[in-house]
Amino acid sequence: MALPRLIFITGKGGTGKSTVAAAMGRALARRHPVIVADLDQRASAARMLGAELNGAGSARLTKTLEVRALNPRAELEAFIERIVPLKMVSRRMLKSRTFGYVTAALPGLEAFLMLDRLRILAAEAARENGYLVIDAPATGSALDLLSVARGLGRLAPSGLLNRLAAEVEEFLTDAESFGVAITLKPEEAGLREALETASTIRKMRIRPVGAILNAVCGEFFSPDEAESAAKLGEHGRLIERRFELGAMADRARQRLGSAGLDVIETPMLFRTALAKAEIDELAEALAPALR
Amino acid sequence: MKPPLALMNYRVVVCLGAGGVGKTSIAAALSLGEALRGRTVDVMTVDPAPRLLDALGLDSDSSEPRNVELNGVSHRAGARLRALRLDPKATFDSLVERYAPSAGAREAILQNRIYRNLSQALAGVSDYMAIEKLLELHGEPTTDLVVLDTPPARHAIDFLDAPRRILELLNSRAAVLLGASSGFLGQSLKLVDIAARGVLKAFDRLTGLRLLADIQEFVRGFEGMYQGFAERAERAQGLLRDPRCLILIVNSLRAIGLKPGGLIVNRTLPEMPSLAELSKLKIAPALKRKMRRNWEDFAALKSRESESLSALRAIMPRRAPIVVVPDLGREPARLADLAAIAHWLTGVELDDDSPPASTK
Repeated sequence: MALPRLIFITGKGGTGKSTVAAAMGRALARRHPVIVADLDQRASAARMLGAELNGAGSARLTKTLEVRALNPRAELEAFIERIVPLKMVSRRMLKSRTFGYVTAALPGLEAFLMLDRLRILAAEAARENGYLVIDAPATGSALDLLSVARGLGRLAPSGLLNRLAAEVEEFLTDAESFGVAITLKPEEAGLREALETASTIRKMRIRPVGAILNAVCGEFFSPDEAESAAKLGEHGRLIERRFELGAMADRARQRLGSAGLDVIETPMLFRTALAKAEIDELAEALAPALR
Repeated sequence: MKPPLALMNYRVVVCLGAGGVGKTSIAAALSLGEALRGRTVDVMTVDPAPRLLDALGLDSDSSEPRNVELNGVSHRAGARLRALRLDPKATFDSLVERYAPSAGAREAILQNRIYRNLSQALAGVSDYMAIEKLLELHGEPTTDLVVLDTPPARHAIDFLDAPRRILELLNSRAAVLLGASSGFLGQSLKLVDIAARGVLKAFDRLTGLRLLADIQEFVRGFEGMYQGFAERAERAQGLLRDPRCLILIVNSLRAIGLKPGGLIVNRTLPEMPSLAELSKLKIAPALKRKMRRNWEDFAALKSRESESLSALRAIMPRRAPIVVVPDLGREPARLADLAAIAHWLTGVELDDDSPPASTK
C-alpha cells in the first residue's frame, strides 16, 4: 500500500528519530517534493540535513527538499489572528500575560493547533504528490499529542474549535493522509515499547506505517564462532557483542512481523561520525522500501 | 580508591535527564548502593520498565513506598530500601485534600473540568508533584536519603523550576482577573486587566470552549488553599537548594541556574582491548581477520562516543565528577544487575568483587 502523505516518526528516546526522518526525507525527495518538519526548537532533523534553523523558519535544501521547524507559539498567534481579525486587538491579547496563563490552562490548545497545521500541510503535499516527514517527539509525548484533538473536541461542545477538532480527527484516522512510523533499535526495551505504541495507535484508529528497525547489524560471526568466543578473553567479548546485536535484530524482526507490522531496516553504521554522507547512506538503504 | 560518587553526606539526590538514557535504572542503582551501605533509602521512580519494576518488587499501582527485599545481595545491618512510583494525579489530589478549607471546596476542585485536565494542560504539574512527593518523603524521620527519578523534561530547568511556576500561576493577575476576590492577593485590577477580561470572554465565545466559568471556579477554589500551597512550594525550593541535595544529570546537559553536582554517562561501550593482544591469540587466520574488522568497527563507535564525552566534559563545571557507566549488555532485570551499576556509580563492593561482564 502507498505511503500516507504525512509520515509521523516517533519512538523511544535515542532510537534515531531525527536521523531516520532526515534519511527518509532524502530518500523520498528523489521522486517527490518533500518537507521534513521538526516539532521542537532543536530542529535536529534539519541540522542532520545540513541546515541550521534557529527558532522557527524554513530552508530549501534542494529543488524538492525543504526543512521546517514548527513552533506552537507561532501557531497560537496565527490562530488568534484568524479569530480576532482586528490586528490591534489580537496583538494586545497575545502580549498579555493573563492570556498566556489562560492558554496554558486550556488543555493542549497549542499542541492541537500544531496538529491542525500538519493537516493543512499534508493537504498541500497531496496536491503536489509530495510528502511530509515529521520528526515527532518521543513516544509518550507523541501519543499525548495525537490524542489531544479528541480531548479538545470533548471540551468544546460546539463552535470553531469543536469543528476543527473533528477535522483533525478525521485527518489523523485517514490512512491515505496520516501514518505513524515507529523507530527502534534492536534491544529489548525498545522492542517492547514499539509494540505497545503500535497497539495504542491502532486503538486510536491511526495507521501504523511500520516499524523502522534502526542500527541493524547483519550476520558477521557464525554461531560456531560465537560459541568459541568465551575462550578468547576481551576480544571474545567483542565477538559476543556483535553476535548478540545480530541475534537481537532477528528477534525484533520476528516479533514486529508477528504483530503485523511492516519492518523497514537501516544498517548500523560503524563510523566515527554521523554526518551528511552517512545520512545519504541511510537514505540509500531506505529508498527501496519507500517506493 | 575514592568512589566516583560519594553520597554519604547527601539527604536528597535528584536525577535529571532526557528520556531513554536509563535514568530510572541509575536512580534505582544509586539508591540500592546507598542502602547496601546500611542507610535507609527511598527511591521514587517515574514510569519504570516492567523488568525494573520486578527487580524492585513493585507493581503498577505502588504509589506508596514499599520495602524492597534485599535478600539476594550482601548488605550492612540497618539497610532499608523502599521504592514507589510517582502518580502525579494522586499526589495532586492528596494536596488538595490536605489544604481544602472544607469538604465542599474540596469536591468543587476535584470535579472541576480544568482541574481534571490540568495534569496534561500545565507541563509543570507532574514535575511539581514529583517535588511535592520528594518533600513528603524527605520529611519522614526514618528516611535517611531520598533518590528521585524525574519525568523526562526537555529542559532540566523546567523540572527544577516547577514550584516557582506553580506559585506564579496561582499568584498571577490571571487569578485576580478571573474571579478571585480582590483582597485575595492584595492586588487591584488595572484597566488593562479589565480590557483583557473582555477579550477573554470573546475568545471563549468564538472558540466554543465555554471555559471561562470553569477557570473562574478553579481559581476561586484555590483561594482558600493558596497559603498552604505557597508554603509548600517555598519549602520545596529551599530543599532543592540545600547543600545536602545533590542534582545529577544523566547524559543530557542544558544551561541551568542550579549547579549540576555530577554527570552520569550511561551505557557506554566497554574499553577497547589492545590489538597486540589479538595478534597473540592462537586461532585460525580467517577468524583473526574477522575479529580485526570487528575491532575496527567498534573502535569507530568508541571514538564517536569519546568525542561526545569530551564535548560534555568541556561544558561541565570543573569539579563536578563525570561518571561513566558501561553498558550491561541487557536491561537490569535483577537486583544483582542494579548492584553492578551501583558498583560503578558509588564504588559499593560486590559479593564476588568482580565488575559485571559487558555482554552475556
